Amino acid sequence: MRNEIKLEAIIEDYLMGKLSPEEKEAFELLRVNDPAVDHKVVAHKFFLDSLKQYGNVHSLIQQMDKAHAEMDMESLVEEYKPHPSYIVNMWRKNKSAFAIAASFLLISIFSIYSIQHNTKQNGTYEVMRREITNIKNSQNKLVRSLNAPAKQEKGHLNAAKFGGTGFALTANGYLCTNFHVIRDADSIYVQNNKGDSYKVKVVYRDPQYDIAILKIIDESFSPLATLPYKLKKNAIGMGENVYTLGFPKDDAVLGEGYVSSRTGHGGDTTQYQVSIPINPGNSGGPLLDNQGNIIGVITAKENQVEGAAFAIKSKYILEALNAIPQDSLGKKVAYSKKNPLQGLNRTRQIEKIEDYVYMIKVYN
Amino acid sequence: MSNKLSSSVPTDREVVLGILNNSEDVLNRLYIGYFPMILQLILNNNGDEDDAKDVYQEAIIILYNKIKSGDFELSSKLKTYIYSVCRRIWLKKLAQQSKTTGNVSDFEDVIAVDVDVEEHEEKDLQFEKMGSALKNLGEPCKTIIQDFYINNLSMQDICEKFGYTNTDNAKTQKYKCLQRLKKLFFKPDTA
Repeated sequence: MRNEIKLEAIIEDYLMGKLSPEEKEAFELLRVNDPAVDHKVVAHKFFLDSLKQYGNVHSLIQQMDKAHAEMDMESLVEEYKPHPSYIVNMWRKNKSAFAIAASFLLISIFSIYSIQHNTKQNGTYEVMRREITNIKNSQNKLVRSLNAPAKQEKGHLNAAKFGGTGFALTANGYLCTNFHVIRDADSIYVQNNKGDSYKVKVVYRDPQYDIAILKIIDESFSPLATLPYKLKKNAIGMGENVYTLGFPKDDAVLGEGYVSSRTGHGGDTTQYQVSIPINPGNSGGPLLDNQGNIIGVITAKENQVEGAAFAIKSKYILEALNAIPQDSLGKKVAYSKKNPLQGLNRTRQIEKIEDYVYMIKVYN
Repeated sequence: MSNKLSSSVPTDREVVLGILNNSEDVLNRLYIGYFPMILQLILNNNGDEDDAKDVYQEAIIILYNKIKSGDFELSSKLKTYIYSVCRRIWLKKLAQQSKTTGNVSDFEDVIAVDVDVEEHEEKDLQFEKMGSALKNLGEPCKTIIQDFYINNLSMQDICEKFGYTNTDNAKTQKYKCLQRLKKLFFKPDTA
């Protein structure tokens, strides 16, 4: 019995590698010489391995049970139990197939759509022509919506609803702008580049040419000096360099371009087509040529065509002006061959004219 | 953020490394991560959540042993492996209960895992035998054996824990216990 215990202790030490090298050697010799001992070693090793394995798996199961207890079994069962509905079952089992089918469908729809879309573009020429009769609709009126509160201003504290640009036609306060800028207006104020606001009233409207004449009626308004620019009488040629000053933001902005066609939208002979960058708020701005002559009033741009803006020819400004009793106009802008801006460079020209270009604020 | 991260399913690599390093966290996440998949499989094939738990735990044990033995090579996604093992085990159980001999309705890809499952069955038999042998061994033998061989306590510790006067007595006691356990373990099944 004692020997047995000792033998097993040695076997265990041997298996665990606790024997010293000499003891190990002696024991291995014993194993070779005594098959009974060898058998015991093997059996013991197998047994200990089983025991160890048992211990490992046992603790693993305990750990898994712990994890298992953390899960909300009821809701999981609720979620994954066989669904009575045939459709849900089908969906669950065939998720990937559905996904493939759906993406295929999407791709087909997309490609069919794009093919149709492409052919449609070839056909737009017709459509465009038909719309030409309807000029006003497809033009983008360049009325700027003002949502930022306007600066402190006399007489009117609320923010303006719309904004545009206008320019002086006479020294005593007649201004020209677009009819569509002041349409539906309750009251209109203009603001010059120094920030002074003046109340104006509309003295002439011409919806046909989209021109309006305003008159400053504010008492604080003091008459201007002689107008630096003149109206250009003759039609201007294609390719003439032109520029405009406008108020797409709260400060004047210069836009530069060239006359790209002698007619406007859809061959409208009352307008020029101008290649010039303009934005909402530019409406009503003067269009000047290199010599500082006013050749038109910026009014609209084409939305689907790049760089196509339109300006009403200066001739119609004068027509509008003629409709107003001449004695009230005072010193008015005139046709002239020679004007004071001629020969000045662009910067100097702008310095001279910027006092005569106003931001128009429309309230309704 | 850490909460979210730790509750997510670990990557396959994380699992292998985690099991090799006995990481409890990885095992928990692995367990919670893939259980719903197996629950769905079992619930939709004539089983209940307890069946799912048994099958799933067996599969995790198979994975665990395979990784621990060192010859585990990921030839597929871990998810697919676990699913396939569970499916195989459940098919066998169904066949034993002769509920259905046919197929189960699948929710995931399947790979062949028959060898692994078969190997496991042998080990499982030993596990059962060892469990019942330990149960029949009775106290304090069971605890002594577990403490010494499984929890790796020293003879000195056991001596103190059980109030033996010296380690020789404890050693003698342990020897006797082990002999009895061996007898119980190696005796042919009476059942």
